[in-house]
Amino acid sequence: MMNLPLWLIPLLPLVGTILLGAIAVISSGSKKGPSEGMVGFLAVLFPALAFVAVLLLAMGMPVDGIRGTLCNWIDIPLFKADFGFLFDGLSRIMLLFVTGIGALITLYSIGYMHGDRGFARFFAYINLFLFSMIVLVLGDSLLLTFLGWEGVGLCSYLLIGFWNKDVNNCKAANKAFIVNRVGDIGFLLGMLCLVTVGGAGILNYDALNAFIQMILTGGHVEIVLPILSLAGLLFFIGCTGKSAQIPLLTWLPDAMAGPTPVSALIHAATMVTAGVYLLARLGNMFALLPVVLFIITLIGLLTAFWAAMAGLFQNDIKKVLAYSTISQLGYMFMAAGVCAFDASIFHVFTHAFFKAALFLGAGAVIHALAGEQDMRKMGGMLKKTPVTACVMLFAFFAIIGFPGFAGFWSKDLILERLFMSGPLGPAFYVVGLLTAVITAVYMGRLIILTFFGSYRGSKESEEHIHEAPACMLIPMVILAIGAIFAGYFWADSLGITVFSDSLAPVVGAAQASVVHAGAHVNPLIFAGLGTLAALLGMFIALKVYGSARIPEAKGSSAPQGFKASWTFFFDSLHKYCGIIPVSVLAWICDVVVDKILQAIQWTVGAIATILGDGVSTFQVRKVRLQLAFSVACVAILVAVVLLTGGTF
Amino acid sequence: MLLHLLVLAPFVAAILMVATSKEDSKSSSRLAFLFGVTFFALSIALVAGGNQATEAIEWFRIPGCKGPVFYYLYSHGLGAWLVFLSCGLSLVALVTARNTFHKNYRNFAIGIFSLMGAMNGTFLSADAVLFFFFFEAMVIPAAVMIAGFGGKEKTKAAMTFAIYTLVGSAPMMVALWYLLTVADNSLLLSLAIALQSLPASTQFLILLSFLLAFLVKTPIFPFHGWQAITYAEAPAPLSAILTGAMSKAGVFGFIAWILPIFPLSMTTVNVMLWLGLVTAVYGGLMALRANDSKKLLAFSSMSHLGLAVAGVFSLSEAMLPAVLVLLIAHGISAGAQFFLMGIAERMTGTRDINLMGGLASRNPVFSTLFGFAAIMALAIPGTAGFVGEFTVLLSIWDMGPLPAVVAGFCLILSAAYMLRFVQKVIFGKAAREYEDGTRMTALEGSSIGVMVVLLLAFGFHPSCITTSLHLFDEDAIEEMSKLSGHDMNEAVTADSSNVEGIEADASSVESTEGSEASENASEEVRPMKEDELRQLDSTLAAAGFDEKERASIIQQMNATDAEQANAEATENE
Repeated sequence: MMNLPLWLIPLLPLVGTILLGAIAVISSGSKKGPSEGMVGFLAVLFPALAFVAVLLLAMGMPVDGIRGTLCNWIDIPLFKADFGFLFDGLSRIMLLFVTGIGALITLYSIGYMHGDRGFARFFAYINLFLFSMIVLVLGDSLLLTFLGWEGVGLCSYLLIGFWNKDVNNCKAANKAFIVNRVGDIGFLLGMLCLVTVGGAGILNYDALNAFIQMILTGGHVEIVLPILSLAGLLFFIGCTGKSAQIPLLTWLPDAMAGPTPVSALIHAATMVTAGVYLLARLGNMFALLPVVLFIITLIGLLTAFWAAMAGLFQNDIKKVLAYSTISQLGYMFMAAGVCAFDASIFHVFTHAFFKAALFLGAGAVIHALAGEQDMRKMGGMLKKTPVTACVMLFAFFAIIGFPGFAGFWSKDLILERLFMSGPLGPAFYVVGLLTAVITAVYMGRLIILTFFGSYRGSKESEEHIHEAPACMLIPMVILAIGAIFAGYFWADSLGITVFSDSLAPVVGAAQASVVHAGAHVNPLIFAGLGTLAALLGMFIALKVYGSARIPEAKGSSAPQGFKASWTFFFDSLHKYCGIIPVSVLAWICDVVVDKILQAIQWTVGAIATILGDGVSTFQVRKVRLQLAFSVACVAILVAVVLLTGGTF
Repeated sequence: MLLHLLVLAPFVAAILMVATSKEDSKSSSRLAFLFGVTFFALSIALVAGGNQATEAIEWFRIPGCKGPVFYYLYSHGLGAWLVFLSCGLSLVALVTARNTFHKNYRNFAIGIFSLMGAMNGTFLSADAVLFFFFFEAMVIPAAVMIAGFGGKEKTKAAMTFAIYTLVGSAPMMVALWYLLTVADNSLLLSLAIALQSLPASTQFLILLSFLLAFLVKTPIFPFHGWQAITYAEAPAPLSAILTGAMSKAGVFGFIAWILPIFPLSMTTVNVMLWLGLVTAVYGGLMALRANDSKKLLAFSSMSHLGLAVAGVFSLSEAMLPAVLVLLIAHGISAGAQFFLMGIAERMTGTRDINLMGGLASRNPVFSTLFGFAAIMALAIPGTAGFVGEFTVLLSIWDMGPLPAVVAGFCLILSAAYMLRFVQKVIFGKAAREYEDGTRMTALEGSSIGVMVVLLLAFGFHPSCITTSLHLFDEDAIEEMSKLSGHDMNEAVTADSSNVEGIEADASSVESTEGSEASENASEEVRPMKEDELRQLDSTLAAAGFDEKERASIIQQMNATDAEQANAEATENE
């Protein structure tokens, strides 16, 4: 099966996009819309085929990966880029869960989007997203990764604003795109930075690694360090945009305006982890840049803590999950910041399962309650939707790091690596552990408010509550199984290291180059402390929210008071540091500069008019005057001709 | 033959259009469509055919000038692609106008064809006077069409447009004439050589007058006064041509005439670079605040062209293909957006984006296209816009990180205003009740669809644009120098230093300029003295010129001085 070409993987969802897009456009005029069965079948078919292709390739992959170049892309003096793909340990893992979870969530969406007017359009976007995501992780150069990078941003925009009749959704979509664009410019400039250091070919990952190797062996690290650090920082800005880290994180909570399967797929499982992927992909470069690594760790730490606190304050079930995603991404960045790239990718992997399960579960709850998202109006759903509740519970145990579940293994690993990372390690570890406690509290709050107690919504709505259809439940159950068992791909204490072994050829060198000083601590202590944190958090949640009377839901689900100022801190930061200065600048351009230019234009025009009026007074019937003018002018002309030497 | 057809046949077509009925648009629209398709096919043949030139025909002699003016057309990659833009956009304009102007369609078509001919002439002329002739001729049909078919303030817009652009290029006319009195003829090569013999201050003055014409036409920041009102008031199909093809004449002028003729000092280059960047930012900021949809698009065009000009003056090795891709991408995407906006205006009866909205549910096919075109304008990777903007950014990065950061800021701005625009026009609910106007027809939709697909195709395979660029190949130079009567060696060296390696241009030209300036400083007013001539003779001998050449050059210098004295005397009058 080795002869399966790599370009086939992105091609499959692209074909799906084109087909579904054509169906969507053609059927948009008709009243009924296309058959949902056929559209759904096509929509799932291509991601599933892509998954099968990835699986086949993954089985027979040689250790150093498969490379394939399709054709040339850009070829100008100073710069060349190809459409080339790189299938190695890192992209294998990413592709497996991107296409796998992508296919599952597409299946789920068939049930969720049932009866929507834009059914075909939705699946065209989803397929386009999968195409972009595959290109992002499969591209063999930064430029191709950037194609996927902006492509997923575009799909995110399209899907957040999917229900475009509501202007608020559109605004959330615009915000997501623009904030991401800021990050993308960082990525773009980072690429330019690299080109200045290493020439046109350096954007290729192999060439970049060779270049890093070359300067390492040649001992030239000092020379290129400043510009490489700049490049690293710029790439990291790109990552903060895409992966919703401080300071570019404000778009992700707003992105929840999109349909829930979209939130699960794009804003939890796959797209937002692109930043972590990029850090791991450029691991060899980042390993040389201690300053940048420290910044990454710090940003990850702050984000994880801040978002966990914000998660505590939300009433909207999807917003809780959104902040939780940001917080978990913070963990991944912390790991990447201490050069534990395999641990960060491992967390990406397990997180994809349990967070997708949580979102799909939340989607099923929202679906059952006909669109209600405020947790204060839920409660007691355990009896009404038992399967959903079980899925959510398993995913809950996974996210808080309950022993044996997926999150336990990956989070534990990250905290362990943090502790070992150097002099500041223990401090990082303590904050990480504290965040783990908070995680357990807010997730416990979510579970208790949603599934336990008694139903707090209106009586009429209670009767309509129903369990989701099978095509929604099957993906949820599969993901829940993943949330339980995904961690066993790398269970150090059980001696299983499949995951880290498969990543070793890609990130091993980078990790080995950063030697961690620090006393060896028995890993069981970390496991014990992690478990304790989860249990403590659950206990607090039970004490605080288990028996307390839930305040009546009034008005919007947005947090109030100090909770609002905590939640929207970065929104106001953007407002005062970004939006207002630009608006003021625009106002100055429009009202001051442009008016001045118009005034000048008007003055010149007016002078011309006045002069014209003045001259036209000569246009009178005074023969003598006219004659005199004519004679004078002829004289001047003759003089000119004589003076210039008579060349005419 | 192809070149003659592309430049002259549109005027013939315009005359033939007169034969059709003015009242009934049926026959005239069919004839126009046939002509449009033919020209479009010819332009494709031109692009595919590579570099070609016509025989240089002596056209007329300007009194006081040494050489004749030629009717001499020459197609290189840049010009050919811009001709492709002008023919393609004109064709789509003819198609969309069919549903907008039921009466008087004939006159509109006449205008479009004459505009097309003038634009093609501008992009294909190898002779400076011919170029200038077409450069000015473009304005007239455009202004007439604005006055005839425009919106509420059409007269004002037409006047502003015509006067602003004509006045802007008036100094260029004088400068060109002055240069012609020195040069052997009006071909590029002799102009470049003639310029070298002028004193530095005169050179600078001539440079300024040339720059002004192109700055106004593009338009670049302080000279953009005509643009917004013109694009807004012109009928949308015309706006599409104006922004998609005509505004490229400015950038084309920078590349094809300014860079080869003038030795540019680093200051000039920097000033132009920053003017371009300021335009890009300014356009973006103005677009953020604009409420008139066509003004918004006008400012967006301004922003993109500012970036293109900044790219041109980055003078990096990658500049030429980068800017060309950016120009083509912008031409097609901005054109498509103007066409779509015209259809939206027809449907909703307004241009104010606050009064629109809800088209996505009302007219999904149109909105899909609209959104698609907007995405193309955002320069998402995989579209031609991305290739253009990325490579231009790469060139600008050569000039330092700060310009590149500013250019990056423009990309963020472009996302901000474009998304706001899309949201206001097609998303949300309709802001008011209105009767639907004529909807988008299948032909319109498919022709705009083809444009969008082209953008995607160029985005994934830009090499069909970038490889077709050989601005001045050997044959053309030989032909030009034959006409100029110059020595081959000198011609080729002068040309290669000026045209081919623009990178080299910046550095080598400075050195040339330095030596020329020192030589010229003394001869500013008085003719060259004997000993100076002898000195020049010895330097030339050292540079490897033989007896005859030296004699001819010195003779030329003397003649030049005489000419110059004359010219100055006339100017003083």
